[in-house]
Amino acid sequence: MYVENGCYGGKILFIDLEKEEGKRQSIGDSFALKYLGGDGFGAYFMNKYMDPSIDAFSPDNIIVIAPGLLTGTIFPTAGKVAFFSKSPLTGRWAEAFSGGSIGFILKQAGYDAVIIKGKAKKLSYLVIKDDEIVIKDASHLAGLTTRETAEIIKKDEGKQFKEFSVASIGPAGEKLVKFASIDSDERQFGRAGIGAVMGSKNLKAIAVYGSKDIKVAKPDKMYELFKQYYTRMINHPSFQDDGKYGTGEFLEWMNSQKGTFPTRNWREGVFEDRKKIDPYYWAPRYVIKNKACVQCVKPCGKAFVLKGKYDGMLDGVEYETLFALGGNCGVGDIEAVAKANELCDLYGMDTISTGGVIGFVMDLYENGLLSKEDIGVDAKFGNGDAMLELIEKIAKREGIGDIMAEGVAAMATKLGGDAAKYAVHVGKMEPPAYDVRGIKGMALAFMTSPRGACHLRSAAYALELTGKFWKYESVDRLSSKNKGQEIADMENFMAIYDALGVCKFSRGIFLLNFYDALDAAIGRGFSEDELLKIGERIHNLKHIFNIKAGWKREDVKLPEKFRVPIPEGPSKGSYVSKEEEKEMLDNYFKARGWDKKGVPKKEKLEELEIEEFME
Amino acid sequence: MLSTIFLNKILIILLMYVKAIPENCSGCMVCETVCTMEHFGVINRYKSGIRIERKSVTEDIPHVCSQGNECNYECIAACKFDAIEKGDDGIVRVIEEKCVGCRMCELACPLNAIHIHEKMAYKCDLCGGEPKCVKYCSQNALQLVEG
Repeated sequence: MYVENGCYGGKILFIDLEKEEGKRQSIGDSFALKYLGGDGFGAYFMNKYMDPSIDAFSPDNIIVIAPGLLTGTIFPTAGKVAFFSKSPLTGRWAEAFSGGSIGFILKQAGYDAVIIKGKAKKLSYLVIKDDEIVIKDASHLAGLTTRETAEIIKKDEGKQFKEFSVASIGPAGEKLVKFASIDSDERQFGRAGIGAVMGSKNLKAIAVYGSKDIKVAKPDKMYELFKQYYTRMINHPSFQDDGKYGTGEFLEWMNSQKGTFPTRNWREGVFEDRKKIDPYYWAPRYVIKNKACVQCVKPCGKAFVLKGKYDGMLDGVEYETLFALGGNCGVGDIEAVAKANELCDLYGMDTISTGGVIGFVMDLYENGLLSKEDIGVDAKFGNGDAMLELIEKIAKREGIGDIMAEGVAAMATKLGGDAAKYAVHVGKMEPPAYDVRGIKGMALAFMTSPRGACHLRSAAYALELTGKFWKYESVDRLSSKNKGQEIADMENFMAIYDALGVCKFSRGIFLLNFYDALDAAIGRGFSEDELLKIGERIHNLKHIFNIKAGWKREDVKLPEKFRVPIPEGPSKGSYVSKEEEKEMLDNYFKARGWDKKGVPKKEKLEELEIEEFME
Repeated sequence: MLSTIFLNKILIILLMYVKAIPENCSGCMVCETVCTMEHFGVINRYKSGIRIERKSVTEDIPHVCSQGNECNYECIAACKFDAIEKGDDGIVRVIEEKCVGCRMCELACPLNAIHIHEKMAYKCDLCGGEPKCVKYCSQNALQLVEG
């Protein structure tokens, strides 16, 4: 009754690219209530329908696309959809989220998840038009950017006002750049290289049209909730800040007040050219309007228009990119940063990993481990044109770009010698914009995130930096004590946002108060404790996937750069020692009910009703 | 006195329509979801009286009926089934019983503001005078204006 009366599409779609067939399967209430949707469905299907130990580019690797439970309803900021797969970059669990319209439209087509396996014989794109599934030739789209691909498919498939929602990869995905991203409506499923998995399957794009109604169990209640939250959100202080400056709004705070803005491949925690890349500087000069994810009432996206030395337009620049292609490469020229952002979006590459690997190469160059001949450009920190040149090389796998396209970890291994000293990655993932030497809980979160160094699986950065969030009152970011329970709690908390499809920037408003929203959406409310249990189940399932993929505690470690004290600024002197790393991990495993090697205990799995997956 | 107030109200409604300011539109589509929740209690962008064309990074274009203020009632003229009429309150409405979904109105409309979905035409009815899309547009991209 919950699936039937609620906001579920009710069906899972299985696509076999090799056999060119699609099959549908209904979902039942007990499954839906156990996993909710989005992240929960992804965690279940990834364990159920593939062998985690296979190569990421094997045709048997699967891609799961799952809109959140509330995605497609009127609930404010619930527009998220996720891609899941095995990552070619990390060899572990991969997930990437975005607020492009494809999730909402999949729901209108009646699907709560799409599971794609196999490899198409030639470059193809998948068309899902309600119940009709077609795999079409995409040879005319070979080598095109994400934007060009989407434009052509929308024109070829859609009629006026029957437009298709498209998710596409660019040339980087086709070339199997290990951190290739997927684009939908100029917003990116960025991390962990799922774009390359699409490339390995010869799948250039997915186009969806859905015409069905999305119901909710209690429409009047849902509409009332929308009205209440709408009013609260537009009167919230963050509405003005996000509205004007986007996610980079807190750059000055991170950089100048906390000293935790990683700079020049994590040499420093303060970027002296911060003012030049701060949205308070560039938003009034380059942004023509706000851009929103589906169903967002407080948009943080920005329509950034470049004219002059570089031409272009992009939805950005987000905080993470201001770090990756700004501070981390020492580039204090917002025009170069924005152009680099646009190139990454068009070629289909994760900006964080791209900036990570370019910063790494710049560091090696300045320290004499790579020469100008090796690189092909004068890759000094701060050289924006060199950065742009290297992006081209990576996307096309030309020259040094070919090994850069493998990611920081693989490149360091290939170069050998002292290169590893400069390689910043956790679990083979280039980390996001939080200098965890001064945010110790986040150092732990980088290690425990199922997709490698990640700020969003726990989103504990704000809690750590302000000391307060939810049930936590006074967290000390410079201490390594009692971090286990905190990070485990935050991971469980955030897994619910990913399962519901609600934006994490709304976390301060909703916390875990989704009882009424879920009652309105599917006819059954969930208390905070019930939700946390589901979040814990989801996190454990992802960890089980990783264990089956070869995860071992011995492999979990922080890069050498995190052992070097931050040289200047408000977090001067702070670093994460080996002892602290061990202490935090031990503490975390204990809080999780896992053994000392990080393997979930049988009792824990039984308690979470997922013991079938560890056999 | 009472009748004057009443008359004024009618006059105001007569002249009102939803005007889009594309330069402000973020493309969030909340107007669409609010529209179909308000009218049908479900979400379905193809039943919405307002549609957002998410064209490019810089262009998100709301399409909505001007109730005759920026057109010449082409939909009414094109309909062979007398299924569209302008009410005494100035609002152009579809008469569901008469509509067969032939698409003539959709083809005729210069504003792309009336659409067929499953053999029925959908368009803005101003929510009877207090359009919810305007009320819940967080970016001031929609305004209720006088014609």
